Amino acid sequence: MSLATQTPGRRRLMDNPRARVLVLLAPVMMFFIVFNTIPTLWLLGLSFYKYSLTGGVPPEFIGFKNFVGIFNAKNAIWFDLSRTFTFVISGVAFQTLLGAALGFLFWGSRNMPGRRVALTLLFAPMVLTPVATGTFFRFIYDPTFGVLNYLIRAVVETGPIDFLGNPKLAFWAVLAVDCWMWTPFMTLMTLAALGSVPKAELEAAEIDRVPFLRRLTLVIWHHGKFIMMLGILLRTIDSFKTLDLIIPMTKGGPGQNTRLVALELNKQSFESFNMGWSSAYAVLLLLISIAMTSVFIYVLNLRRRKETEG
Amino acid sequence: MKRTSTSPQVSRRSALRSGIALGTAAIVGSMPTRLLAEDHPLKGQKIDMTILGIAGWGPSSLGVAMSPLFAEYVKAKYGYDVTFAFQEAPFSDLFQKAATSLATKSQEFNIIISDSQWLGALAQPGWILNLNDVIKNNPGLQLDWYSKAVVDTYMTYPDGSDQIWGLPQEGDVEALFVRKDMLEDPEEQAAFEARYGTRLAQTWEDFAEMNMEEFEKIAEFFTRPDAGLWGFSQQYSRVYDFATCAFNNFLWSRGGSIWDPATGQIEGILNTPENAASLVEFKRWLKYQPPGATNFGIGEGIDVFVQGKVFSQIQWAAVGTAMISEELKGKVLVVPPPKHGTGADAKRIMSMGGQPWVINAFNDEAHMRVAIDFMNWWYLPETTLEFARRGGNPCDKATLSRDDFDDINPWNRTFKYMLEDGRSQDFWHDPKYSEMLAVQQEGYSAFVTDQATDPQAVMNYIACAQQQILFDEGVAKTEPSGICAGISL
Repeated sequence: MSLATQTPGRRRLMDNPRARVLVLLAPVMMFFIVFNTIPTLWLLGLSFYKYSLTGGVPPEFIGFKNFVGIFNAKNAIWFDLSRTFTFVISGVAFQTLLGAALGFLFWGSRNMPGRRVALTLLFAPMVLTPVATGTFFRFIYDPTFGVLNYLIRAVVETGPIDFLGNPKLAFWAVLAVDCWMWTPFMTLMTLAALGSVPKAELEAAEIDRVPFLRRLTLVIWHHGKFIMMLGILLRTIDSFKTLDLIIPMTKGGPGQNTRLVALELNKQSFESFNMGWSSAYAVLLLLISIAMTSVFIYVLNLRRRKETEG
Repeated sequence: MKRTSTSPQVSRRSALRSGIALGTAAIVGSMPTRLLAEDHPLKGQKIDMTILGIAGWGPSSLGVAMSPLFAEYVKAKYGYDVTFAFQEAPFSDLFQKAATSLATKSQEFNIIISDSQWLGALAQPGWILNLNDVIKNNPGLQLDWYSKAVVDTYMTYPDGSDQIWGLPQEGDVEALFVRKDMLEDPEEQAAFEARYGTRLAQTWEDFAEMNMEEFEKIAEFFTRPDAGLWGFSQQYSRVYDFATCAFNNFLWSRGGSIWDPATGQIEGILNTPENAASLVEFKRWLKYQPPGATNFGIGEGIDVFVQGKVFSQIQWAAVGTAMISEELKGKVLVVPPPKHGTGADAKRIMSMGGQPWVINAFNDEAHMRVAIDFMNWWYLPETTLEFARRGGNPCDKATLSRDDFDDINPWNRTFKYMLEDGRSQDFWHDPKYSEMLAVQQEGYSAFVTDQATDPQAVMNYIACAQQQILFDEGVAKTEPSGICAGISL
């Protein structure tokens, strides 16, 4: 419909800035309500019911019993949380440090021949699907015919190492794959952070012969910290939800050694179909995620607030 | 409250669907062929059917690979066209795929190849068609099955009732695959005799009489890590039911039980000192197996056997075609797994495998009719024979009793032997099977990988958790005892 044929009423609506904002936001708000708010409220409601999809009996309201059951260590949520936080903290710390180091290397070698190809190859693990990555690493780690054991034995005289079957190694073997996949992401964030630093300030620091560490803290970190913290936040949230990498590699085993919270939630909801119990579990995980995000945002804004107050 | 198949929800749906089936089946069963071709209500129509089956599982895909034969059959007999699409997921994910679709009352999958333990979980919410009336009205489905184990495993829920929910798509049993070429090597025979003072087993009969003590000598003899060869392998993987099926072979054959189906009692039955000792014995056999055996499931087992890394393996008969690759043809003997114990007390009770067909209760009338036509066709003598010739394992007495059945596939003789009552059995068909299974898979995996070192504590953990699950469900009459408070792996 052309503007000329629009009714005066509609024209007036679109001329009003507030109404225009509402109209333009309406589709995304609808999407958000239908696909986010309603399911979250539904999840919250279901968490107060005893309901098994395969039970053939209607849901029964049981108040906080699901939450009490979870806190009373049914299926040992505390072990799963402890394992998950170890996975998140060690993984994200390692990925940040190595990713930042690689980022600086690439930043400082802008004229290196083949830099673009090297960067593309570096980012490849990040774009692979975790299920595919987990599956081929399961074969790489295999003690009987895996290539890693073959290479290790070519260098060191040792027996076959069962990376995924040994309770002492399995967790770290899975974590290593997670780092292989996601270190490039932190490299990317580091490059983005470094790109946000004004060239003039860097050149001024160079002319003044400011030592590298001081340049790092006073110039680079000052400008790049928001992007780096955003990267860490995204990795933390993503790492907390790790599921599709573990399923093909260990399915949570050996024993419970790689059973993270997302795996337990998946098992209870989509294998055992305990919809009430798993809803309560999901609500708790949601609260933990919100708490973690809030802490990050608080830390990120702390200095800005201090500067404003000062 | 223990649920039975007489719950109103199930009965209403069953009655409705069965009524449709009854009407159509009555016509199909009672009229001459020529008349049927003229009067079939789908005559001239084209129906698209979808079968949901197990990914990477030969017998499942055979159901679809043979479906063009069914299309020809119904075109000629009933005058309608039918096509089949195949949807699939691995063992560990298939139930999830089926359940999430059926929970929405979808007829996305018209026929499903279910695993035997899922019967309760699919039947209880009324997702699959109760087949009692269908069988009653279709003489072609009133078969004489090879053993009661077939009916108990693939057809009945609740256990011991007369309610039929499935029909056997593929029968399956545990078998011992051994390298015949190694056994027949004169140098190996001489070396074995010199080391153990006894003859190396050669024939099917030798193995059928063998116990684990005798078999251990053979496994030990062929365990040569320096040469990249190990004597034996079985499944210990934490995935799906792999460790459970392998361990149940030990548990049952050594006189143990996993539960009391009548009362739902698990504690005190599963966690006996004898069963804990069986768990130790199950783990002890790892010393004859390749590194990484604690991660072995079906696929990993096939890989190491086909690559010649193990002399023998307890594996499902259903994967015989994969186990006996082109290179291994004529070099493999498939025999009954060894007995446990000695003398007259020696027992052999192994896990049942295999899958039933189940029919989606939400099929519309046309798809329901085709599904029932398909079942009638599947159990025709010529179809079951063709299925066997393509590597499948039928379960009807007529086919298995044929003189030539044992020679169709190398594992057929063992399949038939192990299918006899008392030699193989299934575990629970309860709707909560998945939750119960997950607990014990974790427990067995923890023990065989040394995460947990006390076998009794592991069995207590599993028994307590399963008792709680069944008590919460209303199936078990008693709550977990005091020893279960705060128990963990």
